[in-house]
Amino acid sequence: MSGAPIAITGMGCICAAGGNLSDSMEALLRGERHPAPPMRFASDHPIPHPVFEAVGFEEPPDLLRTSAFALHAAREAVADAGLDRKTLGSLRVGVCVGTTVGAVMSEETFCRGYLAGGVPDMAPIHRILRSNPADVIAREFDLSGPRQTVVTACSSGTDAVGIAGSWIRAGLCDAAIAGGADELGRITYIGFISLMITDDSPCKPFDRHRKGLNLGEGAAMLVLASERVLRRSGIRARSFLLGYGSASDAYHLTAPRPDGAGLRSAITEALATGGVSSASVAFVNAHGTGTPDNDRVEGRVLHDILPGVPFLSTKGYTGHTLGAAGAIEAVFTAACLEIGKIPANAGFETPDPEIGVTPVREVTTVEGTVALSESLAFGGNNSVVVLGKA
Amino acid sequence: MNGTERIVIEGIGVVGGFGCGISDLSRALTEAAFSPGTFDLSTGSGTVRIPAFQADDSRLVEFIPVRTLRRIDRFSRLALLGSHLALADAELPEAERSRLGIIIASGYGPTGITYAFLKSFINDGDICASPTYFANSVHNSAAAHISIQLGAMGPNLTVTHFHLSVPSALATARLWLAEGKAQRVLFGAVDELSELIGYVRYRTRDAGPAVPMTPLRTEMETSIPGEGAAFLLLARESAARCGYCALDASTTGCPPISGIPLPEPGLLVLGADGCRESGRRYAAVAQNARVACYTPLYGSMPAGPAFDAAAAALMLKGGRVFPSPGADFRDFPATVPAGGDPVGGDRISCLTLAGDEAYGLTTLGKLSGTTGECAKEE
Repeated sequence: MSGAPIAITGMGCICAAGGNLSDSMEALLRGERHPAPPMRFASDHPIPHPVFEAVGFEEPPDLLRTSAFALHAAREAVADAGLDRKTLGSLRVGVCVGTTVGAVMSEETFCRGYLAGGVPDMAPIHRILRSNPADVIAREFDLSGPRQTVVTACSSGTDAVGIAGSWIRAGLCDAAIAGGADELGRITYIGFISLMITDDSPCKPFDRHRKGLNLGEGAAMLVLASERVLRRSGIRARSFLLGYGSASDAYHLTAPRPDGAGLRSAITEALATGGVSSASVAFVNAHGTGTPDNDRVEGRVLHDILPGVPFLSTKGYTGHTLGAAGAIEAVFTAACLEIGKIPANAGFETPDPEIGVTPVREVTTVEGTVALSESLAFGGNNSVVVLGKA
Repeated sequence: MNGTERIVIEGIGVVGGFGCGISDLSRALTEAAFSPGTFDLSTGSGTVRIPAFQADDSRLVEFIPVRTLRRIDRFSRLALLGSHLALADAELPEAERSRLGIIIASGYGPTGITYAFLKSFINDGDICASPTYFANSVHNSAAAHISIQLGAMGPNLTVTHFHLSVPSALATARLWLAEGKAQRVLFGAVDELSELIGYVRYRTRDAGPAVPMTPLRTEMETSIPGEGAAFLLLARESAARCGYCALDASTTGCPPISGIPLPEPGLLVLGADGCRESGRRYAAVAQNARVACYTPLYGSMPAGPAFDAAAAALMLKGGRVFPSPGADFRDFPATVPAGGDPVGGDRISCLTLAGDEAYGLTTLGKLSGTTGECAKEE
């Protein structure tokens, strides 16, 4: 069941922690975070809920902010991989991108206009139709390989990376740009507050007093390449995608299965496809949203399957970036493997006896060459990637 | 798992403007019979009645209790109906449902409930936003409802890539089966004709009651919006009991038109849906090929290529070509076989053209041996 490791030759990232991967990692290791009420949009909710916006990033008017994030991260990843356009053009390169809002035919201004009985400007709809994130990246780099936009809610980014790895293993393409992207807007903000799973203070993943998540936005992209591409182009592997697992809870639209059966299956499959034993896992970058249900289920599964393995959630620095989260956390995981240390789990103070395990409270040195990045999602999706140090 | 093992379509579940179930689709294909209804649309200048192929999801109560359906939106209902019809068609034992992988492809996702969610806070203020509508507006809600109803705990994926959704998602379904990630994959494509999508189409397509759809007349716009669900139960050949045909390939890409790897010989089912701009591209790609086109039976929607695949499966099983409805294709630069002609080869490919010069190509093949002999009666 295990497959050959897939080289990760470049990574890019943009989120509230930083405009690129290097800046983001430095912020994480400094323990820096800046949740604040939304600045890019207004809401008449009486209590503002803090969010993590990518402050200072401006999208061009013809693109969705989501796709502009995706493109920004893809450019960094391609540059990091040392691939020029000529080389990309000589390869069959696929694009697989996870998102929750990058392919959605809803735009508030347009809908308000229609609902009011007017004739709303079609520009927002045309922008959506030309902004499918995978298409935008493929168009930018003139790529000819397979394309896919994955919409498995909060596991979208993880699934996109795992699927792109499968493409390369199956020979469907030589290389792939894979990751996730999501912008934060009013619709998402209002929707999550309506579900009563957001915290009106900075989020506290795995803490006993956690109250919910903070939303975020951003993107991360990875350049994955076959062994043949590495040999032919002379580029280096920064790290490796070793395994991928996914399984469904078959339980509820928005709540995780209490016994964590889907997550257990996904972890087991990811380790098996990576040819990795649980004993060799150096750390886990957990989903850790800060919602009572998610952290309880995920913590218990980690307690049972990977006892004693250090874990953290990086959402205390980025907020929950939804479709981008799995990809952002995958690049953080790979970057942490490179430097041999992981940041503190921001927001954690008091252990929760219901969970039984605690995340790292400070920057922690990790030993080993393999780590997991996990995503749990609305719809009951659970997805896990296994990453390895080069 | 042998990497070259074929993937078999064991069951088909369809609901659309032609009716509900494989027998209704077979009848519509055989008779080339299509009869779009109408869809009343509020516009800034009053109510407009447009032709549309709408699906009837009333048979869903045969599979799921009404009480369970109360909070499930129309998009997911169409998907649930398609999925149950496919499982019933394949006669898959209930005990095997828990291990199913599920893949859903949709061009636009649950647009009806998404618009309802927006209305909930636009009309009454942000604090009155409906959590039920929001939960169902998430794009993978249909896949989630299916997994919950079936108790399916295998991998679960939703792809929304406008007109490439179906071939792209089918490629992943093949991969899952080849990798052994799932022993069976329930693949489905679904799109709903919501008020929002209807209005967007009204604003973006040429107006006018262009009935009937004549997608192979490339000089005019004749597209009629459609909705529905088309599901295929897929299994590795070694695990399949019966089958319509094999799903031999599905790919997407973006080469120049001359670079699309059309298989020869074989029938090419075109996804041309009456949209003028794509019709010209189909004509360019299909030059001198042997083609068929069935979109006038179910209308224009991104889920359409899954209906094309279902039609191709029935043709491979029966060995005969269905007539292409929308008879006016005399000027189309390709050969359009008459109904009842032999399929003429062991393979049928379904072509989808999307923006950016992108394409999707799904190739189905005739089964041989015991799987093929285990007849699926249409």
